[in-house]
Amino acid sequence: MISITGLRKSFGAATVLNGIDLEIRQGEVVSVLGSSGSGKSTLIRCINGLEKIDAGKITVDGFDVSKPRELSEARKRSGTVFQLFNLYPHMTAVQNVALAPIEVLKLPRMQAEAEARELLHSVGLTERADAYPSQLSGGQRQRVGICRALAMKPSYLLLDEVTSALDPEMTSEVLSILAALAKTGTTMVFVTHEIEFARSISSRIAFLDKGQLIADLPTEEFFSATGMALPRVAQFLSKMRKD
Amino acid sequence: MRYGDFTPFDIVLLLQGLGVSLALFVSTTLIGLFIGTVWAVIRFYRVPVLMQLVTFVAELLKNSPVLVQLFLVFFGLPAFLKINVTPTEAAVITLSGNSAAFIYVIAVSAIESVGRDQIEAARVFGLTRWQILRRVIAPQATAFAIGPLTGLLVNQLQVTSLISVIGVMDLTKVGNILNLRTLKPFLVWTAVGLLYYLTAKLVTYAGARFEKRLRAHTAWKGL
Amino acid sequence: MKFDLSILAKHIPFLLEGAWLTLQACTLAVLGSLVLGLAIGAMRTSASPLLNRLAAVYIDIFRNIPFIVQLFFFYFGLPEIGIYIDAFTTGVVALSIAGGAFTSDVIRSGILAIDPGVIEAAQVSGLRKITIFRKIILPIALRASVRPLGSVFINLILTSSILSTITLNELTGSAKIVASNTFRPFEVYFVLLVAYAALTYSVSILIGMLHRYLNRHQEEGAV
Ligand SMILES: Nc1ncnc2c1ncn2[C@@H]1O[C@H](COP(=O)(O)OP(=O)(O)OP(=O)(O)O)[C@@H](O)[C@H]1O
Ligand SMILES: [Mg+2]
Repeated sequence: MISITGLRKSFGAATVLNGIDLEIRQGEVVSVLGSSGSGKSTLIRCINGLEKIDAGKITVDGFDVSKPRELSEARKRSGTVFQLFNLYPHMTAVQNVALAPIEVLKLPRMQAEAEARELLHSVGLTERADAYPSQLSGGQRQRVGICRALAMKPSYLLLDEVTSALDPEMTSEVLSILAALAKTGTTMVFVTHEIEFARSISSRIAFLDKGQLIADLPTEEFFSATGMALPRVAQFLSKMRKD
Repeated sequence: MRYGDFTPFDIVLLLQGLGVSLALFVSTTLIGLFIGTVWAVIRFYRVPVLMQLVTFVAELLKNSPVLVQLFLVFFGLPAFLKINVTPTEAAVITLSGNSAAFIYVIAVSAIESVGRDQIEAARVFGLTRWQILRRVIAPQATAFAIGPLTGLLVNQLQVTSLISVIGVMDLTKVGNILNLRTLKPFLVWTAVGLLYYLTAKLVTYAGARFEKRLRAHTAWKGL
Repeated sequence: MKFDLSILAKHIPFLLEGAWLTLQACTLAVLGSLVLGLAIGAMRTSASPLLNRLAAVYIDIFRNIPFIVQLFFFYFGLPEIGIYIDAFTTGVVALSIAGGAFTSDVIRSGILAIDPGVIEAAQVSGLRKITIFRKIILPIALRASVRPLGSVFINLILTSSILSTITLNELTGSAKIVASNTFRPFEVYFVLLVAYAALTYSVSILIGMLHRYLNRHQEEGAV
């Protein structure tokens, strides 16, 4: 379980997250929605320890991310997929995927690379396994990014706008993989602007507004009268649908 | 006082050495600035033969040790041309030529940094090539070149230390003399190093100040 | 006097011996400055303010003091404190230390140019700091730094001629001997100048090839 209580985070004078409480249990797919600048990315970066939090507590399966000793355990349990892929440019797809299993889980190289190939095969990249990131299309790069996160067999997958750098065709390529993952019971925290897709795969929606979690509802409730009763949510949804 | 100890006069000696280094540094930089710019103008006008020659000489000077250039001028020229070359003359010739080669490279890239379209536009207005160079390119190229020039100057200041090898009484040569007399190498070379260091810092500081002034000036003019 | 190279013919083996010594000194110094440059460059980009400051001071000192002064400091100073090493070792050590300062600057900018997102990806996957440095930061920074490192190494070759001032008969040192034996300094130093230029030119070609080879997968398309 990822448990967030009383999380506060500011950059200088600007408070970006202002008292967040959120729990993500095994098997859930939680989509995080909110307008630009509401703090979604910052929330993800706090969970994987890329940002130091100012107050509150975040634990992943009981490991506190603000304690340096426990952070590495917490990080082993979650995998992150980035908006701009952030692949290692000097490594092939297989090497990208196998690096952490070899270095962190101490798997033998042969085994790690075999597993990496299998993962790449499962996302349709059998042929491109030995290509370098610069030789791949955006959609292919993001599929490698997903494999790299999955290679550590994480309990939780953190995804921050993983399709917003992709054109529509590549987006659907990546989304179908995520849908399949959701079906197999992978726990996901999913930051996105793809409202319809979020609706189709999530069990819950968390809605951030100016650093506060103003809604945390089961998906269907969020998109029904309960959600619409919240002015900010209604405003957000109508604006997103218009775009 | 034993023979071999430091004397208060040694400070004067060190400062004299520094003076010689600085004098050579400043004079050869100015000569190099002039020659290097002339070379760049030759290239700008695409003067046949001369342009290839200039590029070749600059490459040769940039890619060979200054010490060897110095030996060629100081030992080689007198033997070959049957002329007399004093250490100071050899130092001036070599350091000027070397500075010119590097300044040429900086000047060429500074000229190239001014966009082709600006030059085209000026030509449309009927300016001659010389007017374009003076009024359009020179001011912008100077601003562009100050940064790389400062770096070059710090380097050229250090290069002057090599003339001690052919017997010019510069700061390093004074260091040699004091080193031999006092047998206190750490002290002597630390003092010499410190003087060079401070001078280099001064050059860097002056370059930064000058660049700032120049930028402020151009920005103000642009309003 | 005639320009006559034929008299040099019988001195070629001797000059080649000098060239061999230059090659050895430069190869060792390149390795030395790479090791030092990596260490100092890593310190310069580390989160610890103390290490960062120390590295900055090192770079500042060795970049702003002439190499010949540094060389004399070691050559005359080390025996003073009971360290007796030969001219060759002293030369290699001094070249490595000075080269390390320039190398670390290149490494530092190579490291700073890395997309921070790539490093974050490595951090969240649980890699240890040292692993991130070895497997991610270093390979990426080195690939991007091949060309600037090449310039540093070419400068190292040119600077190595200064080792002749501490009685080391590397290429320049042996040329000096040939020049005084044959009374043909012009021919000798002219050939020497061209030889150094040819050497650095071929090194720069090799570096270009190495750069293209190491970056063969990065060329198509950015991101
Ligand atoms: N490193 C930082 N330094 C200063 N301010 C930051 C930093 N990172 C984020 N911010 C600010 O924090 C606020 C929230 O940013 P965040 O990236 O979390 O928003 P977001 O909800 O992910 O937005 P988007 O939908 O555009 O990605 C923004 O106002 C942003 O400018
Ligand atoms: Mg974001």
